[in-house]
Amino acid sequence: MAFKMPMLLDGAMGTMLQRSGLKPGEIPETKNVTDPDMIRAVYRAYAEAGSQAVYANTFGANRQKLAGTGFTPREVITAAIRTAREEADKTGAMVGLDIGPIGTMLAPLGTMSFEEAYDIFAEMMRIGEEAGADMIAIETMSDLYETKAALLAAKEQTKLPVYVTMSFDATGRTFTGCTPASMSRTLEGLGADAVGVNCSLGPAEMGNIIREIRANTTLPVIAKPNAGLPDPVTGAYGVGPEEFAQDMAALAEAGADILGGCCGTDPDYIRAIREIPRPERHTAMDRGAVCTPSVCRETGKIMVIGERINPTGKKRLQQALLEEDLDFLVDLAVRQMDAGADILDVNVGYPGVDEVSMLPRAVQAIQAAVDLPLQLDTTNPEALEAALRVYNGKAAVNSVNGKEESLATVLPLVKKYGAAVVGLTLDEQGIPATAEGRFAIAERILNRAVAIGIPREDVWIDCLTLTVSAQQEQAAETLKAVRMVTEKLGIPTVLGVSNISFGLPNRMLVTQAFLMSAFEAGLKMPILNPNQQEMMDMVAARKVLNGEDEACRAYVDRFAEAAAETKTAVPAADMTLKDAIRRGLRKEAGRITAAALQSGSGIEIVEQELIPALEQVGAEYEQGRVFLPQLLSAAQAAQEAFGQIKEAMARSGAKSADRGTLIMATVQGDIHDIGKNIVITVLENYGWRVIDLGRDVAPETIVRKAEESGAPLVGLSALMTTTLPAMAETVRQLKAMKKPPRVMVGGAVVTADYAAHIGADDYAKDVRDAVKIAQSVFSCEG
Amino acid sequence: MKINVADAVRYMGAGEGNEETRRMAEETAAELEKRITPRYTWRVFRTEMRPDGVFLPEAGEILAGNLAKKMLAECDAAVILLCTLGAEFEAMQRALEARDMARAVVLDACGSAWVEAGCDAAEEEIAARFPEKYRTDRFSSGYGDLPLESQGWILRVLNAGRRLGVTETASHLLIPSKSVTAIIGLSDKPQGAKIRGCAYCSLRGNCSYRERGTFCGV
Repeated sequence: MAFKMPMLLDGAMGTMLQRSGLKPGEIPETKNVTDPDMIRAVYRAYAEAGSQAVYANTFGANRQKLAGTGFTPREVITAAIRTAREEADKTGAMVGLDIGPIGTMLAPLGTMSFEEAYDIFAEMMRIGEEAGADMIAIETMSDLYETKAALLAAKEQTKLPVYVTMSFDATGRTFTGCTPASMSRTLEGLGADAVGVNCSLGPAEMGNIIREIRANTTLPVIAKPNAGLPDPVTGAYGVGPEEFAQDMAALAEAGADILGGCCGTDPDYIRAIREIPRPERHTAMDRGAVCTPSVCRETGKIMVIGERINPTGKKRLQQALLEEDLDFLVDLAVRQMDAGADILDVNVGYPGVDEVSMLPRAVQAIQAAVDLPLQLDTTNPEALEAALRVYNGKAAVNSVNGKEESLATVLPLVKKYGAAVVGLTLDEQGIPATAEGRFAIAERILNRAVAIGIPREDVWIDCLTLTVSAQQEQAAETLKAVRMVTEKLGIPTVLGVSNISFGLPNRMLVTQAFLMSAFEAGLKMPILNPNQQEMMDMVAARKVLNGEDEACRAYVDRFAEAAAETKTAVPAADMTLKDAIRRGLRKEAGRITAAALQSGSGIEIVEQELIPALEQVGAEYEQGRVFLPQLLSAAQAAQEAFGQIKEAMARSGAKSADRGTLIMATVQGDIHDIGKNIVITVLENYGWRVIDLGRDVAPETIVRKAEESGAPLVGLSALMTTTLPAMAETVRQLKAMKKPPRVMVGGAVVTADYAAHIGADDYAKDVRDAVKIAQSVFSCEG
Repeated sequence: MKINVADAVRYMGAGEGNEETRRMAEETAAELEKRITPRYTWRVFRTEMRPDGVFLPEAGEILAGNLAKKMLAECDAAVILLCTLGAEFEAMQRALEARDMARAVVLDACGSAWVEAGCDAAEEEIAARFPEKYRTDRFSSGYGDLPLESQGWILRVLNAGRRLGVTETASHLLIPSKSVTAIIGLSDKPQGAKIRGCAYCSLRGNCSYRERGTFCGV
């Protein structure tokens, strides 16, 4: 049967089953096998009410939720689709394979990996298609990342059309903070056939959500709301069929095309909404966007792409990449975000770094802490695909160019994962010397992208900056090309501006002048170092002149803040590094250290200033005169100082400032890791390199890492009594190593007695204890 | 709803705290109140005494053990309550940990106090709905002999995944982590305190407040 998009869906399954006597706590999907007639009656009722698609009772038929029921996904899904098929065929309705959340949260919120989630969905998708489903309905999702795993599985494992809906609450976001705009942009990019909302709220509360989705997609929009909210005492839903239908008509006006119901609705509700008219709509998009789940950046206005995460010419970053020190990358990302970047470029390409594994890891680490869209910057297609796969939201790709090989490998990936892409105006012949030559390549890239289905607003063009001291006439050509692309193609341009001034004195002046000219030519997305305040000042000024900064508010705030900062931070000229650390003054600690490094050695500063200051704060902490937040503030100021020292040592070619390596992990099953992170923050400032294995870490992983690194000390943390056995097991395995490391344990529920009982060498009551233990280990070592 | 800042300071292990700690806690609490509102859901269940615990017929589940029996001895119904700060708190916490660990520690403590304030607000709503009833203290899975494993069915009967986006891990920890489930008995008779205070606390043998001769005040 040819697929015709169903515009009227069904209502609740769970509500109907409860009415037919499903007991609380029973897994509804098992009824597909044990009581198919109970399920059949629901399909029939919806088909007869006019539903053009009935969703099979497979919402929770994943192997995780069915574990322990004695049924497999294959049995449950096959039975569900078979019965639904029989009933749907009587009215010509479609059968939907219904896919709900797995029930376990994905990292970084939970512990499940993206690929594990993908695998669980893939199994359901394959079985559903084999069993004869006409379409797939992914619904009630709250995590965009999990939704992406499900949609990718649907697209890669089957040929079926896919409807995707997420669940939003009264704040207008999903429980994990995903916005309707980010959902729409991401899922349309990944190839959904319709997107929208289900469950969540009653239809009366959904207008704004539907409007936001409508504004961010060209796809048909789905509304499948609840019949209001349930009463906590009676469990009954508050909105009846007539009221529901009135509200649904308003949603159709607001932008919903495909209608149905969720919790609390039944066939009467479907009958009540079947005649609602759907307005004709014009759904072309004029603005592209990139996003994370909660931040959507629309193109068309000035946006700064931060360039700092790129190891070219940056010794300290090169070292961090070789040491797999992802915290350093995250810190670079945080600083650029705080400095006002809108999008961050991420490039981890360096000899000795395996980009295919490093780029996706970097993306995940940065996304866990920094809520900005990323631009994945690599020339390695395999690394690009790995990163696009795990990126949460809609990414940008840097870059494709006019070479045939690049067009043929990069554009299909951009299309498949629904990204935006930067097109560089160069080809097999190099960079054309004229603006016309570059424009021709831009046009070729755009046409090729559009031909394979990439929306034109998702193509950004980089007309390439050349160094003006070497090729003086080229600055004008670049600017002219920017103008041509802006005016003739009407798509956004990006431009790395810093290169322009290479080799000249007072580089900032030249770069600023070039940036201003480029803005004048139509540049929207400069790639620059947002930590250079002068550049960001210029961007702020330009936004004012472009009329993008309403009432000049952001500009005024920017300089009001700057003035306040200079006023409060009047440091005494004679402030020592010790003072700065003790008072937790980060900027000062960094500044004083940078000055001290002009004359003294890094090691001396660490030993004579940094550690004594930390020790003093530590002693005050023990005496109860300062508390954990102050201890950590001091540690962070020390970290700033230490960062300067590491930077200087990397520049001078010294290998590393590390005084020894130790491993820290929160044990398997435990997801609370703030205690471990507190300890790491302090330990790193004593100059020890800490390998942070994260939380929920399997004993085997800890042992493997201990073997690989030869670290003489391993620290384990557990916060819950339920995870203490995992700590015991980890200690046992570590102690069974040929050359076992010393093991310290700590955490809210761990006691000295318990530590001794499980064979740990040391019990760390708090962060001070951990420091003392590490000191004793490393003084013996070295 | 307000965050009890003094509680938050105590959760940091800082006792009464010093001025700087209190100031940080106040600033952080204000920011948290602005960014996130606790969400909660609750449902009422009838209770039936059984030899092995308290049976909830509408849930088809038993609150196993002596604690539940003692707490609900004079009750004919119990409210099961879930309150969470949601995943957005988690994101806020992670972002802050990457910037400023000192503030992150303060935020963590404020989060715990905020979720308690959410439970208090839910309890007020419950009290308004049942003005004629007396309420027991709140108690939770993992207290006394009430098994932590009951989190699983508690989440299920509250439809917690759908309603509030709360799930559990294999080791019965709630995700998002600033989430709390609680049980409150409803009775026709006044209910005295049964579980608050050191005598009922599972940490009493190992408590740093008691070591110092003070108490945490919960």
